[in-house]
Amino acid sequence: MASEKKQHGALEISEAINQQIAKKIDYLQKLMTALKNHDDRQIYRLLDNQRYAAEIEHREQQANDAGVMNLVDNLADQLSSYLSSKLIDYLGKAYPFFYYEEYQTGHYRIYFGNWWDRRQFGELDVLNIRFVFDQKEYKKLEKSFELANHGKRYNSKRIEDLSAENDHLQALIDSTEERSQKRAQLQNELKDASNRGGLFESAKNRETREDIKDQISQLEDQDEEARNAAANIKKNNQAVLELSKENTILSYEQKSIVDVFGSFEDFALANRNLYANYLKSLEKDNGEAKAQDNDGKQVSDND
Amino acid sequence: MTEQKDTTLTSNKVLSLSQSIKSGLTIGEKYVSLLNQLASTTEADELLDAMKQLAAIDLTSPFVKFPQHYETADYYLLFMDRLLELNQVEGISVQEEDDHSLSMQLANFGDKISFKFELDQKQGGAFFAEQDDHEPLFYINLEKTALRFSNRALVNFFIVREIKHYSDLDLAAAVKPLISFAHVLKDQLHFHIDLGILDTENDFLARLAQPELDLKVIDKLFVETADSDYRLLNLPHNNGASLQLDRQVHIELGFDPDDYSQQWSFRVVDDDSAVSFFDVLLHYKLIRDWYLDNRDALAVRSDPLIFAD
Repeated sequence: MASEKKQHGALEISEAINQQIAKKIDYLQKLMTALKNHDDRQIYRLLDNQRYAAEIEHREQQANDAGVMNLVDNLADQLSSYLSSKLIDYLGKAYPFFYYEEYQTGHYRIYFGNWWDRRQFGELDVLNIRFVFDQKEYKKLEKSFELANHGKRYNSKRIEDLSAENDHLQALIDSTEERSQKRAQLQNELKDASNRGGLFESAKNRETREDIKDQISQLEDQDEEARNAAANIKKNNQAVLELSKENTILSYEQKSIVDVFGSFEDFALANRNLYANYLKSLEKDNGEAKAQDNDGKQVSDND
Repeated sequence: MTEQKDTTLTSNKVLSLSQSIKSGLTIGEKYVSLLNQLASTTEADELLDAMKQLAAIDLTSPFVKFPQHYETADYYLLFMDRLLELNQVEGISVQEEDDHSLSMQLANFGDKISFKFELDQKQGGAFFAEQDDHEPLFYINLEKTALRFSNRALVNFFIVREIKHYSDLDLAAAVKPLISFAHVLKDQLHFHIDLGILDTENDFLARLAQPELDLKVIDKLFVETADSDYRLLNLPHNNGASLQLDRQVHIELGFDPDDYSQQWSFRVVDDDSAVSFFDVLLHYKLIRDWYLDNRDALAVRSDPLIFAD
């Protein structure tokens, strides 16, 4: 009895195993076919059925079957590399200002622009069809869009401050001669005041002497500052150049985004819809002849 | 006896004098015929031949006094004038100064600026120089059949000095007959010519004089483009920068990535190979101002004008 039950259980189990294996084989076969045909849309569907259902087919609550999907977990890098070719082709047109570097199999760094000085802007997550922007760089860009609305640049304030400091330093250098005359004059005055000193020095004279000493020491401070001024001006100019470079980079980036998307908000929106937009573009590619017919009809409908 | 001897002596002297006068006149005849050749031949090689002989002729004879005549530098001008005339090149004219020397005018400058050849006593040959600062725009050597423009003088004269007084189009028109002159010398008289920064070939490299370039200098140009529609791009191998100036013209400042010496050069690329680095300096203020502001670092090499053997 017990062994019969067991036998029965064993049958059920092997049935269950068979089913599971069949499912896995089915999954892998579908994947293999899709890979053979470079049917990237189907591959993405197989890799994340839940998302595909929600964003492309607008069917919610389509749970992923972890049992089959983790079969390819250890192939993530290779799949990413495989899927990148079509994706990057597409991105080349949709985001003509991004450049990618595969720094290890399936992993891509994003560079913003091919200009003289450019920023590494984050990474491309091929399997999930999304940009993983470097948040620090992204925030800078967002901020510079905001400032541009007020006619300002990201580093305008700091550049202004440094320029003002340079003006001050230059003035110190220019007034060196003037200061040395003033100092000679003060020293004479101090000598006179000292001659009126002594045991019975008036409070007022003492005050005058202290005052002159203060003035001289102030001039000495300025002389000291003037001596280092040339070096500091140079240092500030270098800092201004660096800040201006960053401004220039941000201005190139802004122009690129405006050229393609019109605004930063539309850029951000496109990023959020990248998954759907990309997979829909693949759909179009696959049924091109069919799509062309539909396109013609769609246009007239819209008209 | 004595009398006769004296007579013989005298007649010998006379004979020798007449011989000297004759040779003076022969020189004179030759001089006249060379002048005629220079003024009237329609063959480029005969023109060059007359010019070379005139440059070499010695008119100082104690026995025959020649009237006021032109000097070698003037013949160079006549030679250039006639050669351009034969090839229907316009834009220059020659006039005689109060001291009877000749000077050349380039069309748009009118009488304000005159040019003359200045002889190089040591090496032979002559510099074509404007007469205020004596910038030698080019050097020509007939014996060595060679002509070379001076990059430094071209920049000093056109890009620094005259851009303040004339439009870029006027200056481009002024330099044009000089370029034509070089081309005629090359095509018809087999001269070796070095156009320097006037060269419009796409593969012409205007090498920088300094062996190294501080990249901050390029940063400065980058920063200058922030408010413009220009975009300064990286060259594909990170070996310099490139700026699209017009739809079909771009300028590069870079080095050959395979060359270990990293010789920096300017290069101007356009569809028709019709734009030179000089043209870019002339027509694009952004590049011109940046080049002049950083001339110590960016100056294009000016090869010695005198040709080594």
